[in-house]
Amino acid sequence: MSLFAQDIRVSYGTRKALRGVSLSALPGEVTAIVGPNGSGKSTLLGAITATLPYQGRVLLNGRDIRDLPPWELAAQRAVLPQASRLAFPFTVLEVVRLGLQSGTAGNRPDVPMQALARVGLAQYADRTFQDLSGGEAQRVMLARVLAQVWAPVEGGQPRWLLLDEPVSSLDIAHQLQVMEIARQFARAGGGVIAVMHDLNLTALYADRVAVLAEGARLAFGAPGAVLTDDILSRAYRCALRVSAPPPSGIPYILPHAASA
Amino acid sequence: MTAIPDTATLPRDRLSRARSLHWVLAGGLALACIASLQIGATDVTLFAMLAKLAQGEPLSHMERVVLFDIRLPRLAMGVLVGAALAVSGAAMQGLFRNPLADPGIVGVGAGAGLGAILAIVLGTLLPVWMIDRIGNQMVPVAAFLGGWGSTILLYRVSTRQGQTSVATMLLAGIALGALAGALSGILVYIADDQQLRDLTFWGLGSLAGASWAKVLSAGPLILLSIGGALMLGRGLNGLALGEATAAHIGIHVQRLKSVAILAVAGATGAAVAVSGGIGFIGIVVPHLLRLASGPDHRTLLLNSALLGATLLILADVIARVVIAPAELPIGIVTAVLGAPVFLWILLRRRGLVEP
Repeated sequence: MSLFAQDIRVSYGTRKALRGVSLSALPGEVTAIVGPNGSGKSTLLGAITATLPYQGRVLLNGRDIRDLPPWELAAQRAVLPQASRLAFPFTVLEVVRLGLQSGTAGNRPDVPMQALARVGLAQYADRTFQDLSGGEAQRVMLARVLAQVWAPVEGGQPRWLLLDEPVSSLDIAHQLQVMEIARQFARAGGGVIAVMHDLNLTALYADRVAVLAEGARLAFGAPGAVLTDDILSRAYRCALRVSAPPPSGIPYILPHAASA
Repeated sequence: MTAIPDTATLPRDRLSRARSLHWVLAGGLALACIASLQIGATDVTLFAMLAKLAQGEPLSHMERVVLFDIRLPRLAMGVLVGAALAVSGAAMQGLFRNPLADPGIVGVGAGAGLGAILAIVLGTLLPVWMIDRIGNQMVPVAAFLGGWGSTILLYRVSTRQGQTSVATMLLAGIALGALAGALSGILVYIADDQQLRDLTFWGLGSLAGASWAKVLSAGPLILLSIGGALMLGRGLNGLALGEATAAHIGIHVQRLKSVAILAVAGATGAAVAVSGGIGFIGIVVPHLLRLASGPDHRTLLLNSALLGATLLILADVIARVVIAPAELPIGIVTAVLGAPVFLWILLRRRGLVEP
C-alpha cells in the first residue's frame, strides 16, 4: 500500500514540464518534493492528483488512478491546492463541510468542527470565507482537506494528503503548525506528499525528499542524504552551503552561507 | 488544541432556515396562484365562482371560459416559466461560479430566441409529415438547441483551466447576444405577415398568448430540466471551489457540467419559446435567496423554483391590472423591478464575485 508515480511525463504545448519522473511514497512518511521555480514540482503533484493530463502511471494503494472514479479517489486522498478561490459567500464551516462530499467521514457530523479546531480556527466557523486573510483561508482549506480524509487509515488502507505548498502564505508559527499536522497524519499511518519551497522546513519534517530540476528527478532519499551542497547547488544553480550540526544532524541552509 | 465551541447555533442554522423556507415559499406560491385566478380584466373572480359552486349553481359560459381557457393556462404557464427562469439562473450561476451569470444577460436567452425564430420562420419549409409529427414541440426544441449551443460556446470562451473569468463571460455574452439578435433580425425580414405577428407577440415577453397547447409544448421540457437541475445541488456546491478542487472532492465534473448546461438550456429554451424574453427573474431570485439563507445549492435550486414562479405570477398580475383593460408585456414589469436590483448587486458585489 503506497503511492507510486512511474515515469511521469507532462508537456505544456511543446515545453516538456516533466521528462519521465518517478516517485514512490510510503504511508507513515512525509514525502517532500523540492526544486527551483519551474522545475516541475507542482506539475508532478498535478499528475499524481489527476488534475493534469500526463503520460505514465500513478498507482494509489495498488490501483491505477485512471481506473478509479472521482468519488473513490476522493475517499482515499485529499488535495490541498496552492491557492483557493471561492465563488459564493459560504461560511468557513460550510467550506470545511464541502470536504465531506464523498469522504467516508461523511456520516460523522462533528468532523468539520474538529478539523477546524485542528488548524486553530474553530472560533471562525461562522465567518464568511471570502472575508478571511490569505493565511487564514489557506488553513481553512487545510481543515477541509483534513475533514475529507479524517482517519489516516480506513479499512486497513492508508489515506493520503497531497499538499501543494501548504505553508506558502503562512507565518512561521503556522508553518510549524501545519507541518506538525502533516507529520502527525503520517505517524498515524497515513501518507503525505508535500510540494515544498522552504528547504529548512523540508529538512525538519520530511522523511524522504525528491529534488527536481528542469523536469527531471535529480535526487531522492532521506533529507540528510539529499539536501547536500552538491545536489542543492546543482538543482538551484547557485552555490549553497548546507550545515548539519550534531547531535540532531538535521541539515539547515542559510542564505548567508551561499556564495555566488 | 483550542476548545470546540457549541456548533448547534452555528451556520447549520442557515441550512435549516433554507429548508423551512421551502414551506414558506410554497405557501407564498399558493397565495399568488389564488390571486392570479382572482384578479383580471373582467370582473369574474375566483371567490365569486367558488361561492356559486358552493350554493350548487352552475358557472356561466363566460365564467368557464375565463377560468379554464384563460386564467388557468396562463397561471400554469406563469408557474412553469417563472420556475424555469429562476432555476436556470441559479444553475447557471453555480456553473459559472458567479452571481451575475443569467441566461438572459449572457446571451443564452438570445441564442434560444434565435432557435425559436428559426423554427417559427423556417419551420413551415419542413415536410408536412414532419410538421404533423413534431409541430407542437418544434419551437421549444429549437429554442433549447439554440440555448444549448450558446451555453457551451460561452463556457468554452470564458473558462480557462477550470476558472471562469467574469469579465470574459459578460463580454462574450454581449457578443453572443448581438450575433443572435442580428441573425434573428434577418429572419424577421424574410418572415411573412402571420409569422411576423407571431414574432412580435413573442418578442415582447408576455404570458398573454398562454394556452393549454403552449403549456403542453413547453411543460415537459421545463419539468425535465428543473428536475435535472435539482439534482445538481451538491455538485454545484463543490464547483464553487473551482473545477480541479471539485474533482478532488469526488465530483464527476464533466458530467456535472454537461447536465447543468443541458438543464439551463432546456429550461431557458422552453421558457423563451412560449413567453419570449422575460428578464431578471433568473438573477434577482437566486440573489435574494442567497441573502436570506446562504448559497447552498442543495436548497437554493428548489427555493429558486418556488420564488421564481411566485414572482412571475405576481408580475403578471401587475401587468394585467396596471393599465387595465389593456395589459403591459410582463417583460417590462420584470425589467422595471429587476434592473435596479441588478444594479444594486453590482454596487455591493464585493465578496460575491470571483475577480
